[in-house]
Amino acid sequence: MDPQLLLIGFFLPLFPLSIAVNVLLERMPTPWSRALVLLIWPQIGVFLVAEHIGELPDWIKYWGLATAGLYAFRMLAMREVNHWVGFLATSSWALLWTPVYKGLSLAEIEVLALGFGLPLAIMAVLAGEIAKRYGAAYTGLYGGLAVAMPRLTGLLIVSLFAAIATPVFPAFFAVLHTLVISQPLPAVWLVSIWGTWSWGAARLLQGLIVGPAELPYPEDLGIAMTWFLSLLLAGLAVLGLMYTGRLA
Amino acid sequence: MDRLVLLLPLLPLVSALLTQLLGARLQRRVSRISVVGGALTFLLASLLLVSLIGDAPTARYAVGENWGSILFDPLSVLMSALIAGISLLVRIYSVRYMVEENGYGRFFVLLDLMSASLIIMVAAGDLITLLIAWHLVGVLLYFLLGHETRSHSAYRYGFWTFITYRFGDLPLVLAAAVLFQTFHSWSLPDIFAALAANPDVETFFGLRVVEVVGGLIALAAFARSAQFLLHTWLPYTMEGPTPVSALMHAGIVNAGGFLINRFAPLYIHTDAVLHLVLLVGLVTAVIGSVLMLGQNDVKKALGYSTMGQMGFMIMECGVGAFSLAIFHLIAHGLFKGTLFLNAGSVIGQARQDDGIPKDELYRFIVERRPTRRRQPWLTMAVLTLAIPVMVLVFSHLAVAPDLFEKQGAIILLFFGWVTGAQLLFATYHMESQNPWRLVLLMVFSFTVVVIGYTLISHAFDRFLFPEPGFADRLYAAAGIDFDWFVVLAVLTSLVIVAGWLRAYWSSRRLHGNEVAGHWWRNFYALSSREFHIPDIYAGAANLLLALSARINVWLRWG
Repeated sequence: MDPQLLLIGFFLPLFPLSIAVNVLLERMPTPWSRALVLLIWPQIGVFLVAEHIGELPDWIKYWGLATAGLYAFRMLAMREVNHWVGFLATSSWALLWTPVYKGLSLAEIEVLALGFGLPLAIMAVLAGEIAKRYGAAYTGLYGGLAVAMPRLTGLLIVSLFAAIATPVFPAFFAVLHTLVISQPLPAVWLVSIWGTWSWGAARLLQGLIVGPAELPYPEDLGIAMTWFLSLLLAGLAVLGLMYTGRLA
Repeated sequence: MDRLVLLLPLLPLVSALLTQLLGARLQRRVSRISVVGGALTFLLASLLLVSLIGDAPTARYAVGENWGSILFDPLSVLMSALIAGISLLVRIYSVRYMVEENGYGRFFVLLDLMSASLIIMVAAGDLITLLIAWHLVGVLLYFLLGHETRSHSAYRYGFWTFITYRFGDLPLVLAAAVLFQTFHSWSLPDIFAALAANPDVETFFGLRVVEVVGGLIALAAFARSAQFLLHTWLPYTMEGPTPVSALMHAGIVNAGGFLINRFAPLYIHTDAVLHLVLLVGLVTAVIGSVLMLGQNDVKKALGYSTMGQMGFMIMECGVGAFSLAIFHLIAHGLFKGTLFLNAGSVIGQARQDDGIPKDELYRFIVERRPTRRRQPWLTMAVLTLAIPVMVLVFSHLAVAPDLFEKQGAIILLFFGWVTGAQLLFATYHMESQNPWRLVLLMVFSFTVVVIGYTLISHAFDRFLFPEPGFADRLYAAAGIDFDWFVVLAVLTSLVIVAGWLRAYWSSRRLHGNEVAGHWWRNFYALSSREFHIPDIYAGAANLLLALSARINVWLRWG
């Protein structure tokens, strides 16, 4: 196998090379470093694709779709938020192989990767805040976040929905774009993955935000941090509305 | 004037923004912003509707280059007026109803956003805008149903709704992708024009685009309108706040009927899809009604009643009576919304005083005394079968004589026939002292309903599909081979006649049939478990979750 392709497979994850990024995310010492990895990792992959000489084999997009499906399915039973974010990142980045194979421009794929990565990076930061207060960011363990920390919960919900490709965030247009350039059967597989993301997201939220909270409530996210992350998400939504790739 | 249609979704969006920004300062008074925003939206929608009835030309206005467009046409304006009206009522109701709840401001923000999404959905002039709005309605409904974040059950049932709606989003996305791949445009009018020019265009595997897309859109409509096998979420959504139940049952759940109507220019070219739509609608109507009858919980009974009504609405689309489905969803929306909003108040008042005047009509209907001699069963059976047929035939002949040339209209007449017969059978069963008076009252009511329904559906046909011959082509697309239709009509008539004769004959017997009784008890037990469909889904979901966990263990969580 082409060693350059093998290297790209680490950054635009293909199973089992995808295990590397998940192990790396797990070992990151702080939430901010984890967020940085989530932003940079696929961009390296896109850069390497641009540097790749020769045609990409046909099977690579199917392998990408299979990886995306595997990690989407694994998200369903994942209860630790950071692992969950890693799985969603792997699943969404693996989908980028279809636009790569179809020859979209480097800039376009970079924007698609950013659209997937930014909300996940915000989620990683929020997971760090939750872990700081409860000892672990773990769904189904305590619940009641909506009552105890409404600001953090609001941001968590919006970033989560942005990450699972809800309109009007860029990930929605990324998935739609990928769908439009797909063949029929991969398209059906792709929408199934999309649906599975929603299932996983709803399970994650239910175990975190719903239910009564135990007193005393932990301190909510600071005002400055809330504004910063809110503006990032608002900017992301505006980016989604402004830039829809070749869809418009 | 017609450009003002762009303001329709904008008004609730501005209202949502102001409510969010001023919520902390205004406290409970913040709801006034939402109510004023809702009132302005309704006023504008009504004005646009009036202008359109006055024959204003239809148009498409775009904010973006290829998407972000809004249609100014009869369907979008009529549906927008309905949504704006119901949303306004729900907002006014919520001002006091939600006053003691947490997240008061958030609730009105969500209501405003939902109102905006629904209006964008019905007025979308391109596929991307339609997809965005269609998707957002499901997400917003999830949070409206789970408004009480302390309630695990509210979120659990909200989750069922969300997942079913997401399941319904996916075929619509696929349909949009197929249409874009085929016609290279997102604009709905452009796509319909291209389809009209070349209705036999093919997509993958040599399949006709209209059949593939028609099937996918129907599937999306089934999920949104709680059709059989995708219905399990609907009866359980009562855990959410009452205004949300009203909004959902009066407006959101009707989206399936709207969607099929929006793609009417596509369905006129289909061969088989509308038959599937008819079948699914029919099964849903029957199962929904059966499940409703077996409920001992009033709210769940209302939920299943909605399921049955949605079945009828989809069935109407399946026979080609598209405009009738729109009339149906408006009528159902108004009466079901009223039922939900009024239910609590009625129960509260009834605990003090039932409020029913003990006048002559009350004594006649409620305190009836059995007649000494029942009428001959055969006479009553013949009358039961003949009177509704006569009422239906004469009403339709008076309004639209050509209606009998449409197979779909004849199928609907069968349903009218059975309903009328059921009314008269109920009269016979009531054993009133003066049965003929009761029969006359029922026949009169039935006639008024049939004439009203026929007139209004005819008017809707002309308003929604003014293009000459368009409505006829919809009926034709839903039709089958004439000889087969005659055979089926005769067979159905025989079954109905035989069924009623047997029903009358059986009602004269003092003791029921033991075997039949045993069968009915088993059937009741099965229906009380909702035919185990939710259990099957829960089992399948648990299986998938267990498999997912097992894979995670094998791969050591990496």
